[in-house]
Amino acid sequence: MVNILIDGLMERISSAIALNKSIGILLPSQNYQELIQALFERIKSKPDEAWIYVSVTKPFLNISNQLPFITEIKNIRFIDCISRTAGISNSTKNIIFIESPTMLEKIGLEIMNIFKEVDPKTKKYLVIDSLTNLIIYNDPEIVTEFFHNIINRTRARDINIISLAIEEEGMECYLNRLVNLNDKILKIRDSFI
Amino acid sequence: MPETQLKEDELCETGIEKLDEMLGGGIPTGSSVLVVGSSGSGKTTLCMQYLINGAKKGERGVFFTITEPLFKLTKNLDTFSFYDKKLIESGMVNLIDLRIITERLGLNTEKYTVEDASALLDILKDIADELNVKRLVIDSITALCYRLQTPEMIRDFIFKLGSSLAAMNCTTLLTSEIPPCKFQYSQYGIEEFISDGILFLGDVERKGDLIRTFQIVKMRGTAHDRTKTAMLISTKNGVELETLLRSRE
Ligand SMILES: Nc1ncnc2c1ncn2[C@@H]1O[C@H](COP(=O)(O)OP(=O)(O)OP(=O)(O)O)[C@@H](O)[C@H]1O
Ligand SMILES: [Mg+2]
Repeated sequence: MVNILIDGLMERISSAIALNKSIGILLPSQNYQELIQALFERIKSKPDEAWIYVSVTKPFLNISNQLPFITEIKNIRFIDCISRTAGISNSTKNIIFIESPTMLEKIGLEIMNIFKEVDPKTKKYLVIDSLTNLIIYNDPEIVTEFFHNIINRTRARDINIISLAIEEEGMECYLNRLVNLNDKILKIRDSFI
Repeated sequence: MPETQLKEDELCETGIEKLDEMLGGGIPTGSSVLVVGSSGSGKTTLCMQYLINGAKKGERGVFFTITEPLFKLTKNLDTFSFYDKKLIESGMVNLIDLRIITERLGLNTEKYTVEDASALLDILKDIADELNVKRLVIDSITALCYRLQTPEMIRDFIFKLGSSLAAMNCTTLLTSEIPPCKFQYSQYGIEEFISDGILFLGDVERKGDLIRTFQIVKMRGTAHDRTKTAMLISTKNGVELETLLRSRE
C-alpha cells in the first residue's frame, strides 16, 4: 500500500522535473514523510545526477534515522540548516552544517560553491525543504528575496530546483507567493495519492 | 562591474573574487588601505588571504603582527585550507613580529619617541625593500598608533610609510580596530584620512543572529562598488563575499 503511494509520488515528481526548471510542491504536513521518501527514492534511482538537499525542516540525523537508505546515496550533498539551532552538534562527514536558518547568504553561497565543482555536463538539482521553515526563522520578505535570488542564479546555471511548501495555518499567502515563482506547482492531496 | 581608468598591471588583485569585482579589478597598486572592524570581524583573515593569494601568483608579501604572537597567528591560519605553509617556508609570505623588532632596536615597547618612530619607519621600509615585497600588512595599525603619542606623530608615520611603500609599488593593508557599534573607521580618527582606501567589516543583526557584512567605504582612484555585501568566513575558502539580502533592514 505504502509503496504504491510512494511510487505514485515519485512518478509525479519525475515527470514534473523532466519538463520544468523549477517546481514548487505544496503539501499538507501529514504527507511530508511520504513525499521526502519518494524524493529520495527518485534521487537514488538516478546516480549520475548531482543533488543538493537543503534541510530546514528536520536535522539530517532525524531524516536518516527514519530513512536509513539515504546515507547510502552517493549523488546527494546535504546542507543542514537546523541541527545547530536545535543544539545537535555532531559533525557528520560530507554534510554542511549552517549555524542558523537566518544565515541565508551562507546557504546560497554553499549551494553555488558545491555546484561549481560539479561537471558542467551533469544534471544538477536543488531541493529546498522547506520554504515554510525558512519563513518560520526569517521575515517572509527576506525569504522572498532569497528565493528570487536562488531561482535566478540556478536558472542562469541550468540547475533544476524543487522547493517544498508545507501548508501551515496563517502562512498561506506567503507560501502561495513563493510557490508561484516556480514554473510548475504540484499540489499534493491525500485524495490524489 | 564598476568602470575604472586603471590598467590591469596598476591593480593589485586581492584574489577574493567578488571583492576584486567590486573594486573594478583590484586595489590600485601602491595604495595603503585600512581594513576596519571590531574584534573578531575577520581583519587578520582577510589580510592573510590577500598575502597568500598574492604569493600564489608570485608576489612576495610581508605580514607585521603586533597584536598576536606569531605562533598563535600560524596556529589559527593552519585551520584554513587557503593557507599553505610552503609559501611561508619559501619566503613568499614573511611573518614578522614587530615587537621583537622594536625590542631589538632597543625601543621602549610601549611608547615611541619621535626618534623611535623614525627608526621603526626606516626598518619597515628596509625590510620591504630588501625582501622586495609587493604586498605588506600591518596588523594592527591601531596598536602601533597607540605607541605613537600624538596625532601629529600618527599622521606623520602613516603618511611617510604610505608614500615610501607607494614608491616601491607595494600595496599595503593596515588593520584598524574599532569598538563594536561605533560609527568610525579608526581609533584615533586620523588613520582614515591619510589612507587611500577603507574596507569596512561590520555586521547586521537578523533575528538575533549576526550576519557579517563588508563594504568598500573609499578607494581613491577607482569607481568602486559601495554596496554593503554579506561576508562569510569558512575553513574551506576563508573570506568570501555574497550579495546581502536586505529586506526589512
Ligand atoms: N577555520 C575557520 N573557519 C571558519 N571560521 C573561522 C575559522 N577561523 C576563524 N574563523 C572566524 O573568523 C573570526 C576571526 O577572524 P580574525 O581573527 O580574522 O578577526 P580579527 O578581526 O582579526 O579579530 P581581532 O580584532 O581579534 O584580531 C573568528 O571569530 C571566527 O568566527
Ligand atoms: Mg586580528
